[in-house]
Amino acid sequence: MNKEQTIKELKNIVKPYIQNQEAFDALTEDTDFINDLKINSANLVDIILDIEEKYDIVIDNEAMERMVNVKSALEIIETKLSEKNQ
Amino acid sequence: MIGNDIVDLALARKESNWKRNRFLDKIFTVKEQLLIADNENPEIMIWNLWSRKEAAYKIYNRETGIRGYFPLQLECSYENEISGSVSIKGNTYFTKTIISNAFVHTIAVVKKENFDAIKKINSNETVSKANGIPFIIDKQTKIIKPVSISHHGRFWEGITLID
Repeated sequence: MNKEQTIKELKNIVKPYIQNQEAFDALTEDTDFINDLKINSANLVDIILDIEEKYDIVIDNEAMERMVNVKSALEIIETKLSEKNQ
Repeated sequence: MIGNDIVDLALARKESNWKRNRFLDKIFTVKEQLLIADNENPEIMIWNLWSRKEAAYKIYNRETGIRGYFPLQLECSYENEISGSVSIKGNTYFTKTIISNAFVHTIAVVKKENFDAIKKINSNETVSKANGIPFIIDKQTKIIKPVSISHHGRFWEGITLID
């Protein structure tokens, strides 16, 4: 998995839900979905569903718990993709 | 400790498509989904239960320092449209919900008697944050008071507890 590429894809996924353009433009691994991008918590579920659909993975409750920033999202995508390809 | 959450129904309609496949499965327990399905107005029930979970999460987060996205662990016990409680890992928080045509607003408290001590704060009050927890300084007593603030679309609600 190419991290740069995944960050790019993730940016496309979160884009419709962000409410802070500046933080979005400056997005890094440390960017927080709620505190920085000001994404509504009810829209986090949309992001999770969008990620599941994009990568054809299932984000279980345990993974969902950690889904609050870019870093965790990348880790979860990577883990679930490698599980899928085993 | 207190928590509150407001949902602007017009904005929620625009922002969220709850009919989306698996949307409800990710955030509501089977029991909660039955309440939604059985209600004549499922949309209002969704935001009613959701605002309860969010308001309770604010207390849980502040009490335990635990942060995350675990709506299924915050289980609603629904008494009626107004009253109920939310439980998570042995903690129970009591909720009171106000529903209008335009919004759903829930206040969560640790003890039921706290409902009588809720005071609204104005949006022009200076709210600061310490360790992520918002507070105001009482003008007369100079005492630091934790507050809970919720903002969605057209609505802003801030609350604190009277001593």
